[in-house]
Amino acid sequence: MQTLLQFVANGVVVGAFYALSALGLTLILGLMRVVNFAHGEFYMLGGILGWWTTSRLGLDFFSGLALVIVVMGAFGWLVDRLLIERVRDQGEEAGILLTIGLAIFLSNTALLTVGTTPLKVEGPMAPGAVFIAGAVVTKARIFAVLTCAVLMAASWLLINRTRLGAAMRATFQDPMAAQLAGIRASNIYACTFALGTVITATAGMLLASIYSAQVSIGGLVSLKAFVVVILGGMGSFAGAIVGGLLLGLTEALWGGYVASGWVDIIGFLLVIVILVFRPYGLFSRRSERA
Amino acid sequence: MSKFRGAFLSAALLAAIGCAQAQETIKVGVVQPLTGSVADNGMAFVNGAKLAVAKQNAAGGVLGRKIELVIEDGQCQPAPSVSAAQKLLDRDKVPVLVGAFCSSATAAVMPIAEQRHVPLLTGVSSKADLTDKGMKYFFRSAETDRVMSLTFSKILAEKLQLKNVAYIGVNDDWGRGSVEDFANEMQRLGVKTAMKEYYEHGTTDYYTLLTKLQASKADGVFVAAETQDGSILVKQFKELGLTTKLFGVGSWATPEFAKLAGSAAEGIYAAVPYASSIPTDLNKDFVNRYAAAYKSKPGKYSAAGYNALNIVMQAIGRAGKAEPQAIRDALYKTDYAAPNGHYRFTDKGEGYGYDAVLVQLKGGEPVVVTMTEAGKP
Repeated sequence: MQTLLQFVANGVVVGAFYALSALGLTLILGLMRVVNFAHGEFYMLGGILGWWTTSRLGLDFFSGLALVIVVMGAFGWLVDRLLIERVRDQGEEAGILLTIGLAIFLSNTALLTVGTTPLKVEGPMAPGAVFIAGAVVTKARIFAVLTCAVLMAASWLLINRTRLGAAMRATFQDPMAAQLAGIRASNIYACTFALGTVITATAGMLLASIYSAQVSIGGLVSLKAFVVVILGGMGSFAGAIVGGLLLGLTEALWGGYVASGWVDIIGFLLVIVILVFRPYGLFSRRSERA
Repeated sequence: MSKFRGAFLSAALLAAIGCAQAQETIKVGVVQPLTGSVADNGMAFVNGAKLAVAKQNAAGGVLGRKIELVIEDGQCQPAPSVSAAQKLLDRDKVPVLVGAFCSSATAAVMPIAEQRHVPLLTGVSSKADLTDKGMKYFFRSAETDRVMSLTFSKILAEKLQLKNVAYIGVNDDWGRGSVEDFANEMQRLGVKTAMKEYYEHGTTDYYTLLTKLQASKADGVFVAAETQDGSILVKQFKELGLTTKLFGVGSWATPEFAKLAGSAAEGIYAAVPYASSIPTDLNKDFVNRYAAAYKSKPGKYSAAGYNALNIVMQAIGRAGKAEPQAIRDALYKTDYAAPNGHYRFTDKGEGYGYDAVLVQLKGGEPVVVTMTEAGKP
């Protein structure tokens, strides 16, 4: 019983982390219809910049995070204006090729600049274990799960309750009509992409403080994030949460009671099963988009 | 007249080619993971290799020619390692190969070296059965899981007084090989197996695995992991408040490991073929030169790269020419005084004579607990 509790606690925490790292992907995919294969590299950049601001510049975690958010926001904006804009409305393949190229460029540039050594990001929390009903969780992990919840709520509010959010939704429903109504579409595209980039980089820095920042982590992060997004349904926040938790819990229980060496199989099995029964994911928003 | 002139010209041309060849470098092909989850260890190997070559070249090279390293990324995976080796053989025409770190990757490169009659030396791949495949061009200057398990299980069972041990390994040939070999040897000594579990390269969360470990009530845990995976595992091990005695194989005594794992690394035992604190003169010299070049102390893989290249360069020297066949024959006659022992090869290409060291990490430094020479297998 005790062990089961610990497995569930592990699964929930890891699941929240999966959801957090998939949030940026689902936002960009759901709103902009850009399949961002550089997602894992944005996450990696968040971690590396986090290391740079906290270790090299000597900032504390939160000031460092603020700087990372500003830098990555500007970076996301520029990527959209300089790169994504050129392939907009040319079908999904062009965007896929572009982001794959961007991913290769970013990971190799990072490899060249900071090298292969895993880097340590000082976390915002003093190390220490917390017991919840007998299951051990660290403070840093609880903090990360809470941040995950806050980020999701904030993004949801931004998209559904603000003028900017309304402009975003209008643009992605019908760019022409939105432009006629006075919305500067190119700005909205860049804003959305920057938002997705910032969320991803925040996840990268936060999780790097719990694990470690690594230049070569991108591929793995992208893979898991795609699993979460496909499970939950593209573009759905609720889907990302449920998809993440589902993946985290299944992995924890499968690893705990069956064999931890086979844990990656279960994620893909889940995807296959869900795609057979619900081809557009658990929370698909397909009906909204004609 | 024209006949004479033609002969003269061709003689001059031949002489010119001969001269050009004499000044050409001797290329040594190296396949190591430069990207991916063991990239850090691969780079350590390359750094060690470069140090060995720099010293040799400063002393005039081998056979009057400079040694040139041609380094390719094998990503620790079979397919990219094979492509890298093929590129080195086809385009660079290297007479000898060094690589490819991970046992699975090396096993994939071996048949190519064999087919092309080019000797392949691995300084790292430790899966026991690599030398049992009847390959005539394969050499290993690395500790095998079998030698390590034989040498260490006894020390562990007696010194740490363990009764019930859990085994955790990375899910590849090396990890599985290490776990199997150690578990068998420990069982022979009367130590029970509490659990055997594997994880994937690049895993970041080990809570599930560690919860299972806690539930297994083992009094010791054996871990086969490299720096990146191992340091995260150890951190989470301490976060969960586990107090099981932890000992590992892989790169546990490296400075990077101690730095990444921080205080969580305190008190961990590591079974290693090399520690920078080995008290021999050759080692002190190596450590000083390495520290001067790279601003950090060498770990296991830096030493492996350093040793592998020295063995290869000495073999080329003994062969008298940079030709695969001659180098292969010369490799069998290896008698190399290393920072960590004295390397020789059996006729299967298995290295022996190096030291096996049990260290404990104290204050970020590997302290030698005990060391023995690994005998001829």
